[in-house]
Amino acid sequence: MIHLVILAISVLIGLVFSYLAITERDLLKAVGFSAIQAVAYAIAFYLLMAPDIVLAYVAISVGIYSALLIFLIRKTGRYEV
Amino acid sequence: MKRTLPLLLILALVVVFAYLFATKGVISAPTELRPLGKFYLEKCMIGGDFAAGSPEAVTSILWDYRGLDTLFETSVFFLAIIGSLMLFSFKVKEVVREQELTLVVRSVTKIAAVMILAVSASIALHGHLTPGGGFQGGSALAVAPLLVLVAFSRKILETSGLSLKRAIVIRSLGLMGILLTALLPLTLGGYIMQNLPIFPKYIADQLTSGSLIFYNVFEYLAVGAGFTAVFLLISIPEKNFVEEEK
Amino acid sequence: MSLFELFLWSFVVLALVATVLISLYGIAKRPNLVKKLIALTILGDTANLFVILFGYRLIYPVAPPVLAQWSESGVKELLRKAVDPLPQALVITAIVIGMAVNIFIAFLIIQAHRLYRSVDTREIAKYGGE
Repeated sequence: MIHLVILAISVLIGLVFSYLAITERDLLKAVGFSAIQAVAYAIAFYLLMAPDIVLAYVAISVGIYSALLIFLIRKTGRYEV
Repeated sequence: MKRTLPLLLILALVVVFAYLFATKGVISAPTELRPLGKFYLEKCMIGGDFAAGSPEAVTSILWDYRGLDTLFETSVFFLAIIGSLMLFSFKVKEVVREQELTLVVRSVTKIAAVMILAVSASIALHGHLTPGGGFQGGSALAVAPLLVLVAFSRKILETSGLSLKRAIVIRSLGLMGILLTALLPLTLGGYIMQNLPIFPKYIADQLTSGSLIFYNVFEYLAVGAGFTAVFLLISIPEKNFVEEEK
Repeated sequence: MSLFELFLWSFVVLALVATVLISLYGIAKRPNLVKKLIALTILGDTANLFVILFGYRLIYPVAPPVLAQWSESGVKELLRKAVDPLPQALVITAIVIGMAVNIFIAFLIIQAHRLYRSVDTREIAKYGGE
C-alpha cells in the first residue's frame, strides 16, 4: 500500500514539473524543471521494481540530457519568444 | 500567476476521473505474469537447452533471447552518433584559454570522476549477475568525461589522452567487438548470436554466462565513448568553428 | 483489491495520460525548437514509464526479476513475486537509443541555427523551405 502511495506522489510530481517545464519561457529554468521530473520518474521506476532502468535512466536523463540541453541553449539563445 | 490555474484544473480533472474510474472498476492492475514473461523467468538460469546461463532475466532477454533486436538497436545508435559527428565536421580553431571554475569545484570533480569510472565499470562487468549491464554502465561512464569537460576544459581532457579521434576509435572497437561476438558462432557451426554451447558458461569457476559478459563489455565501451565523442564536439563554442575552404 | 488501491492505480495511469497530453501540446504548439525537444523527451520518458507500469504486478511481496537462489525452489519463489522482465528489457534500449536520437536532433537544431540564425519555427518558416 505505502509503495503505491509513494508511486502516486512521484508521478504527480512528474506531472506538475513537466507542466512547468513546458510552459516556462526561460529555457534554462525549463531544463531544471525537466531534471526534477526525471528524478521523480527515477523514483517511480525504482518502485516499479526495475533497478536496471533506474541505473541507466538517472545517468541519462539527469546527467547527459541536462548537459546536452545546456550546451544547446548556450549556442541558440536562452529565452523563448 | 497565470500558469497555476490550468495546472489546478488538470489536477482536479485527474483526481475526479480517477475516483470515477475506481468506483466503476474501469482500470484494473495486473496481478499475474504473462506467459512470455513466465517463460523467460523460468528458463533464464536453469532451463536446460533454453537457458541463457544468467540469473538476471533482463540481461538474458537483452543479449540472448531477443539479441537481434538489441543488435539492430545498437546499429541505430551507431547511425545517430555518426550523423551527429558529420554535422560538426569543421576545422576547429584552437581556443585561447577557457575560464576554469574554483579550486573546490575542481577538487570535488577529480574525486567524483574517478569514482564514477569505478562505479560504471562495476555496473557493466556485473551485468550478468545483478541489475546492470552495458547500456547502464556506458551511460554512467559518459558522465565522468562530461564532468571534467565542464569543470576544467576541453584542452585538459585532450592532453590527458582522450581526444575526439581516440573516443571515436574506442567506440568503433566496441561496435566491432559486438559484431565479432555475434558472428563468431557461425564459424564454429552454430547460429548467429548463439550463446551457451558455443561460449563457456564458467571461466575459471566464475559465472560469466557465455557471451553475455563480452556483449556487456563491448556495449559499455561503445555507449560511453560514443556519448563522450559527441560531448567533445558540442562543448566547442560556435565562434571557434572555421568553415573549410572549398 | 480495495477501493483506495484502485483509486491510486487509476490516479497513476490518468496522471501519466495527462503528462502525455501536456507534452503533445508542447510539441505541437510551442514555437521554439529547443522547447519542442524538451517536450519530446518528456513524452518519451512517460511512454517508457507506461510500458514498465503494465509489466508490474500489484501484489504485496514483489521483487525485481533477478534469480537469487539458483535452484528449482528459487525459481518457484521468483515466479510467485517477480515482475515481468520483458518490458524492462525493451525499455532499457529505448532509453539509451532514444538519447542518441535526441543528440542527433539537438545537432540538427544547432545546424538550423547556423543556417537561419533562429530556432523559432515561425522565423524559419519565412524562408519557405530554402
